[in-house]
Amino acid sequence: MAISPTDRGREPRSDGGADSALETPSDGADSADTRSTASAISSDDHWLASYARDHVAHLLVVAAFALYPIVLGVLDRTPLATEASSFLPGLTAMIVVLYMGLFAMSFDFVSGYTGYLSFGHAAFYGTGAYVVVLAANGKVPGVPADTPFMLIVLLAALLAFVVALAIGAVSFRLSGVYFAMITLGFAQVIYEFVRHWGYVGTNPTEGATIATPDGLSIGVPYVDSLTFAVGRLTGDRFENVLGLGIDVSATMTSYYALGAVVLVCYFAMQRILHSPFGKVMVAIRENEERARAVGYDVFWYKMAAFATSGFFAGIAGALFAAYARGASPDNSFYFLVTADALIMAIIGGIGSLAGPLYGALFHEWLGDILTTDDEGIATYLEQFLPEGILTTEIGGVTLYDLVGTALTGRAPLYLGIIFVLFVLFVPDGLLGSLRDRVGGPVGKRLPDVLDRYRR
Amino acid sequence: MATDLPLVVDTLARLFQPDTLARILVEGLGKAAVYFVLAVGLTLVFGLMGVLNFSHGAMAMLGAYIGGLLMVLAVSDGTGTVARIAFFFVAIVAVFAVLTAFGSTIEYSLIRPIYDRTPMYQILLTFGLALIVEEVTRIVVLARGIQPDPAWSAAMATAPTQFTDRHDLLGASIRGLYAFEIVLGVLAVVGVWLFLNRTLYGLYIRAGSEDPEMVEALGVDVRRTFTIVFGLGTGLAGIGGVFLMWDPLWGPSALLAMDVLLYAFVVVIIGGLGSFEGTVVASLLVGITDSFTTWLFSTGIVTFTGLPALTIFGLLVLMLILRPQGLYGVEEVGGH
Repeated sequence: MAISPTDRGREPRSDGGADSALETPSDGADSADTRSTASAISSDDHWLASYARDHVAHLLVVAAFALYPIVLGVLDRTPLATEASSFLPGLTAMIVVLYMGLFAMSFDFVSGYTGYLSFGHAAFYGTGAYVVVLAANGKVPGVPADTPFMLIVLLAALLAFVVALAIGAVSFRLSGVYFAMITLGFAQVIYEFVRHWGYVGTNPTEGATIATPDGLSIGVPYVDSLTFAVGRLTGDRFENVLGLGIDVSATMTSYYALGAVVLVCYFAMQRILHSPFGKVMVAIRENEERARAVGYDVFWYKMAAFATSGFFAGIAGALFAAYARGASPDNSFYFLVTADALIMAIIGGIGSLAGPLYGALFHEWLGDILTTDDEGIATYLEQFLPEGILTTEIGGVTLYDLVGTALTGRAPLYLGIIFVLFVLFVPDGLLGSLRDRVGGPVGKRLPDVLDRYRR
Repeated sequence: MATDLPLVVDTLARLFQPDTLARILVEGLGKAAVYFVLAVGLTLVFGLMGVLNFSHGAMAMLGAYIGGLLMVLAVSDGTGTVARIAFFFVAIVAVFAVLTAFGSTIEYSLIRPIYDRTPMYQILLTFGLALIVEEVTRIVVLARGIQPDPAWSAAMATAPTQFTDRHDLLGASIRGLYAFEIVLGVLAVVGVWLFLNRTLYGLYIRAGSEDPEMVEALGVDVRRTFTIVFGLGTGLAGIGGVFLMWDPLWGPSALLAMDVLLYAFVVVIIGGLGSFEGTVVASLLVGITDSFTTWLFSTGIVTFTGLPALTIFGLLVLMLILRPQGLYGVEEVGGH
């Protein structure tokens, strides 16, 4: 049942992202680990320096994400502007990467690490989204409409946590396909309920929008100077930040604000997975009966993992609703939302916490370059190719039509094909395969690799 | 609440009127027939191969489109009722043939290489397949201008007028299509039962569902059986799609793929994954519940429009809580 390489008859290896000191001695990674720890101690660095050294992979990724809008802005002023906007994901797509990435990570947290496929994960995402929408419209009893957004997010996450506990209490009596089906069933019951729940808005099937015009503020609660407005194309603008001549657009503010929340959530989840608790989760995935025999009360471990995952899925949903300034049953509670997270997790590498983020990046990038709303590949080809080639007829169809029908908005088709190819040939996903190549979790191996080049 | 009471009493009294019962029963049986045909292929495939086929709904959608296309090509304004029904059966046979071949090809080329992995990968693969089929259908449908509007009225219009009209039965007005669906459903149940109990491959399937290793040890080529059964399951999904073509509640549309899939799952889970009898009983249960809740909504006693769908998924959850293996399921099957 568990989604892990061990099921395909390979040498059992303890899992990737959650690896720490419990690495099996035969793993080969062990000697390298001791060396790195030893060197960290002997060099007697400041603790912050050694911490940074251990997390160099994380720092690089965070830096890449942080610099991306700036790079995009610079490219926009170069002769490569058309290429950049055609082949690179736009900033709005990157924001989707952030919250969908968080949702996919929370899905992976329970499905990838305990091996229980939660096919109804959209229930928690939707709960988070709807709490934000309803709270911002003043429809949650006891929560005034002007409650700080961070508190609403916390409330949304806690409610998702409770919903997850309730669903998990019933569902964890089952396993395998039946677990997937019962979670799907619960999510569909909630979906059908919300779809026809007149309290949400006049047309509940269409969902509800947040009525406040200037977006929700995100930031540190009760500290006004650290509060940013978040919402599509609203948000605060900062011009000439710190006198450096950098302008931060409204979309960029949303991007950084959401990015900060996602980053905090990622490290929280990573911390949990690295703890003994996370070890038990992996143990349940690898062999639940043995984990029980060792003496763990696996039911409560699974419940806790599921509820924690629901908590973070709720945050992802809350961010989504705040950014999209609304939610509908079809983009929050429907089971295809779970399926999106599943696709991201598989492409990125299920069973590695950061993998789904890269899966989300890939997913949104593909969707972004194949639309015509933004400038995508189709637009680029139409501008770039000479008129003669575009109007050449091949079997009665012009290339122009072919590009239009085969590329524009066809992301689901290519995603489907890529997804099938990944399932068949790259079951470990992008990060999982990279991990196999470097012989351990990338984040753990990278410092040593860098050290080798430094000396 | 006091003012509501007479309404409740009144409704309960009306429930036992012959016209109400006739309406609930006939509509329920008609819906049950559709649910059965949609679900039976899924349960056959799962029972033998342990593969939960997420592309089942997409195949039903293909069936609806191909069947609809055949009907639109064959039927003109002057075509009589008998001829239309005859064409309908031709369409069923054609769709069954095409989709059985398609399904067998898919099993042979895509699913066969990953039997040695966990069942999760087969779910993932068939789900990806569903995405591809759905999207390709969308592209073809849009590019060829087959379906400018969401409900493909050209295909719906090929139904004989006797089916779209309402007929008087014990005082209830019932759409003629439901009677036709009941006949088709009985034919389908008998057909699949005969296949399972009177043919060699039916024997392989029943035996393979019990103990695939023993069947293999007895010299049956299980791989070939898998290919054939997956093909048949896909073909049955296609027939289900053709059934939906005239149904005003469904009709050919790209959205069919995921809707059908969810309803087929509900029926299969309630009946017990892999059980033929279970599928029959569960489709009756779901069909009649569906028509009952629809009627309940129409009386005004319940104002919640989502009641039928909510109840059906509620049934799924309830069944999984009370009896996870389903009505007729064996605990071992699929307990991976």
